[in-house]
Amino acid sequence: MNSHYTRRHFLSQSTQGLGGIALACLLAADRARGATNWPQFPPKAKRVLHVFCPGGFSAMDSFDHKPELEKRDGQPLPGEENMVTFQGKNGPLMRSPFGFSVRGQSGKMISDMLPALGAHADDIAFLHGMTSRSNTHGPGCVFMNTGFVLEGFPSAGAWASYALGSANENLPAYVAIPDIRGEPPNGKANWAAGFLPARHQGIALSAAQPIRNLARPAEVTSEEDEATRGLLAQLNAGHAARHPGEDELAARIAAYELAARMQLAAPEATDLTREPAEAHQLYGTNDANPLKAAYARNCLLSRRLLERGVRYVSLYCASRASGVDGLLNWDAHKTLKADYERHMPILDTPTAALLTDLKQRGLLADTLVLFTTEFGRMPTRQNGTSGRDHNPDGFTCWMMGAGVKGGMSFGATDEFGRRAVTDITTVHDFYATVLHLLGIEHTKLTYYNNGIDRRLTDVHGRVIKEVLA
Amino acid sequence: MPRPLSTFLIAIIALLPRAGSAAPVDFTKEIAPIFSQRCLRCHNAEEKKGKWSLATAEEFFKKRGGHEDAVVRGDPENSMLVDLISPLSKHEAEMPKEGDPLTRDEVALVRRWIAEGAPWPEGFVIEPRKRGDKSWWSLQPLRPGNANLLIGENPEERSDSPIGRLAFPGSPIDRLLLAKLKENGLAMNPPAEPRDLIRRATFDLTGLPPAPEEVEAFIQACAAGADKAYAALIDRLLASPRYGEQWGRHWLDVVRFGESTGFERNIIHEDAWPFRDYVIRSLNDDKPFDRFILEHLAGDQLAPGDPAVEVGTGFLVAGPYDNVGNQDVKAQAQIRANTLDDVITATGSAFLGLTVHCARCHDHKFDPIPQADYYRLQAAFAGVQQGARPLATTAEREAAARKREPFDQEMAALKTDLAALTTRPEGSPPLTPEEEARKAELLARQPVLEKQIAKAGALTKAWIGIFSQPGAATYLMKGGDPQKHGEEIVPASLAVLEVAPKYDLPLNAPEAARRLALARWIVAPENPLTPRVLANRVWHWHFGTGIVDTPSDFGYMGGRPTHPALLDYLALRLQANGWRLKPLHREIMLSQAYRQSSAWRKDGADHDHDARLLWRFPPRRLSAEELRDTMLAVSGKLDLAKSSGPGFRLYQYLNDNVSTYVPLDRVGPETYRRAVFHQNARASTVDLLTEFDAPDCAFSTPRRSSTTTPLQALTLFNHAFTVDMSNALAERLRADAGTEITAQVRRGMALAYGREPAPAEQAEAERVVAAHGLPAFCRALLNSNELLYLP
Repeated sequence: MNSHYTRRHFLSQSTQGLGGIALACLLAADRARGATNWPQFPPKAKRVLHVFCPGGFSAMDSFDHKPELEKRDGQPLPGEENMVTFQGKNGPLMRSPFGFSVRGQSGKMISDMLPALGAHADDIAFLHGMTSRSNTHGPGCVFMNTGFVLEGFPSAGAWASYALGSANENLPAYVAIPDIRGEPPNGKANWAAGFLPARHQGIALSAAQPIRNLARPAEVTSEEDEATRGLLAQLNAGHAARHPGEDELAARIAAYELAARMQLAAPEATDLTREPAEAHQLYGTNDANPLKAAYARNCLLSRRLLERGVRYVSLYCASRASGVDGLLNWDAHKTLKADYERHMPILDTPTAALLTDLKQRGLLADTLVLFTTEFGRMPTRQNGTSGRDHNPDGFTCWMMGAGVKGGMSFGATDEFGRRAVTDITTVHDFYATVLHLLGIEHTKLTYYNNGIDRRLTDVHGRVIKEVLA
Repeated sequence: MPRPLSTFLIAIIALLPRAGSAAPVDFTKEIAPIFSQRCLRCHNAEEKKGKWSLATAEEFFKKRGGHEDAVVRGDPENSMLVDLISPLSKHEAEMPKEGDPLTRDEVALVRRWIAEGAPWPEGFVIEPRKRGDKSWWSLQPLRPGNANLLIGENPEERSDSPIGRLAFPGSPIDRLLLAKLKENGLAMNPPAEPRDLIRRATFDLTGLPPAPEEVEAFIQACAAGADKAYAALIDRLLASPRYGEQWGRHWLDVVRFGESTGFERNIIHEDAWPFRDYVIRSLNDDKPFDRFILEHLAGDQLAPGDPAVEVGTGFLVAGPYDNVGNQDVKAQAQIRANTLDDVITATGSAFLGLTVHCARCHDHKFDPIPQADYYRLQAAFAGVQQGARPLATTAEREAAARKREPFDQEMAALKTDLAALTTRPEGSPPLTPEEEARKAELLARQPVLEKQIAKAGALTKAWIGIFSQPGAATYLMKGGDPQKHGEEIVPASLAVLEVAPKYDLPLNAPEAARRLALARWIVAPENPLTPRVLANRVWHWHFGTGIVDTPSDFGYMGGRPTHPALLDYLALRLQANGWRLKPLHREIMLSQAYRQSSAWRKDGADHDHDARLLWRFPPRRLSAEELRDTMLAVSGKLDLAKSSGPGFRLYQYLNDNVSTYVPLDRVGPETYRRAVFHQNARASTVDLLTEFDAPDCAFSTPRRSSTTTPLQALTLFNHAFTVDMSNALAERLRADAGTEITAQVRRGMALAYGREPAPAEQAEAERVVAAHGLPAFCRALLNSNELLYLP
């Protein structure tokens, strides 16, 4: 009698308590190189919510107030009068079209377009000295998600899945929630597993789009489905008995068990009708603006997923660079005021509601919240327009929640917001910090690919200790 | 194992190098390198893990209070070191803690050295090996001395030799494998059942299952003479056009062939498929691989005007690139450098197994690749631009020129007339109404004529790159930064490899000459990397793992060969066969190693879990493409007629400045072609293919993952494609087997598994069919492990 037959037999007979065994089979079969026991030290964060605003979210119109821009609106940018950037020539300095007000005890100046997020200022650690290596959306987004400007590298969520796995094996460890307006620049490369095993890829789903192939095919009755499942189990059992010792066969039988459980668990997790009316009210899921309502539903979905043990949720607010600049995302090249008056209300209250909800439920204590974008925007107006071009030299991201000091700002751009000048931080520093909060020393989390033990932080990265609580 | 073979083996082992050598162990050449590579990472002068260093004699022989002596000169049995590096019955050796255990050879050498009194030359200090140098194994010439011994025999004659009459012919491949197995106390499995063997070989060479009739015919033929039947099977499969589709797909992974730009815009390439067809055709024709590589890098120069050869340069532009139109000059330089980096990375990986791309910002950290080598490759490709260029015969070009000639003449006349009316000397009288009318007429005619010229002169284009003479010299970029120029770099051979003939071109060498010189250097007979890397890839695709398990990295960070002599033997065979793959396939597949059963054995698994030593044939899961093709083939829907031309799509392509690829929930018969003909856009998810580890091809994929996930189960169980194939298979069973359920089930099992059902299976299947219909049974077959795993 060999142990694998027993295990398989047990799996096919039993109806509960399978998770651990099934997962063990899968892990055994995975045989990932370099896999080790994570976390290495007690983590502050057990899960991550990563809000991403694609298109290049302007710092000086949101969280990085620049009084000097107001004073010198219309004057040339000193030293860079003839600057040519991504889309071409730049004009003079341009003040923000929006007012700023003090928010929270910390006295943070935040755009009047983001009052609800502003209310959380005392819980947030702003990183104003962020820099990127690309001034182009696609490579910029991929860089912000993977630490590399080229495609083909694993995203942060895939690394988290690789290191930590899922806290609930009935749901994917890593979920990407694209905006209803479409995928971000470079699409699925943002949540790809790269060279990590495919099971670490982000599973795309949203309130409007369930996991692909989750449901039983419409033309198959549930009785037929069960009969097929039963026959399949018997065929596989016979085959496994004829091929003793093969871990992979047991793993694949277990995968069907897990899939069946996911078929039950995922619809429950994504079913927003199970939420009380107050929750819908808080998030604004019935907003008259259909784009805002859709994003609000994704926010509510994020909370349900995090609550159920999904390790890493990437929540996108806005999408790709369409033919019309700034229409579908934060890429305000020509008409910044109109563009941001469209996008900021969509972002503001639903995201703030999600943060409030996480806090009220006590989830914020061990949930790390990240707010990122691929780069910022220029303090100048783009020549002949009232918009701003791409600026990878200085922009703002923030962190909040598990292990993060609130009500603080770290790093700064110059008086105009053109460049990071104090306490400059990079994407690699950012993820060194994220991994640290997850209990992982960033230089130790590696995976061999094509000549190099690759890391999320490449060969760089410093834990930004200043923002740790 | 039959006794005569064992006796024979002992004779062969005696002939192998090293074994039985009587000369005393040479410490500096034989022992120091082992300590350096395997021990000193921790036990060095600084770290002294376990308070012991192997760097100097003083430290090494030091008496340590309370501990037994690590080494007793002349007495290996009482030397703790020997215990530490020797495996215990079931467990791996205690040392080294990290990395593979020492080989039996290495342990034996250390023992012998201690037995000989452990001589350590005075003052000799062992440096820890932290990187490879010019003496790195893969950079050394192929070792004909070793392999000649084995090639000496004419393989064709072997079947008549005494060995040939054994259950397995003792080919050089087997002898080298068996020697290693024996060293490890292991033996090969007995031969696989003919039913399993034909399934394995048919999938291996064609990516498709054998038809039930082929299985039964093979079993019968084996009864009459297994060797002859099997050799005939291999020859039949190698001659099948399906071979090029299967092995072409392997190669397309290596050359990162994708059919969209990638990056932000990710525009689809409608004209990249001729390269895919060219790869398939070349493999089917068994084109010498050195020629194939030359064509990849410089096909335009080898046979200008011959589309079948020029198309090879599709390799240069098969990777992703950023075409977003950045106006920032510095960013443009960076993007250009990244585009060339893709070509450099692909070239180093695919042909040379060198990670040259790791020397972009600094000298390679682990291999002896200077940073200048990276920029030597950049100089070779400096004139390569992403894009489509005409792919036409000389006759087609001439015909097009003839067709546009009258329009060209009219255009010339038009321009003269127009100039006379528009550029007149100052003070000329205004145009008369007639002249104004004439001018308007000419201006109206001009754009029409331009279109006619373009149409008449149009040639079919393909995504095979555009070449132009670089305007500037190539510089080394300090820190990889295009803004920081170092020394000027000429197109030249790579310094990392000293055994291949060198070349140096002038700084301003013609663009094409640069690529051609590089290509010739890569395939030069003295270059050991190219044949080694290729032979290893072939082995990898046959057995699932290469002799080196990192097929595109033969450097320090890559794997070490499990069978170095075998690798060189195969590389030399490849060269001796004129770089043709088919004879090599044949020789490998005729080996005992390939023909043995895949049955799991505890003694083998305990010692060598992954069967790297080939104590069994390693079973494997089907690849994504094989799985989809098999579902189509079993259901009788596979369309083999459309085995070339533009690809099919499993997604909807949307473009609004940037591209979105929306996976299709339902696909029609136009997609029932082999998956190699799928138009593989980057960053697109295509259900079955993506889930089962088909690569995105952002980079070269030398070795695919083979994962097992719940999402695979969901996709395979629930996707409409499975439902469609289940229905199609049900229809086929009714057509093939009539209305009797018993016959239908038997036919289903024969098509899916190539065997008869067991009674219990038959009964349960019949019950399901009777209660729920044939598709319910078919869907189970298409999801089952027996379909997905090869014996």
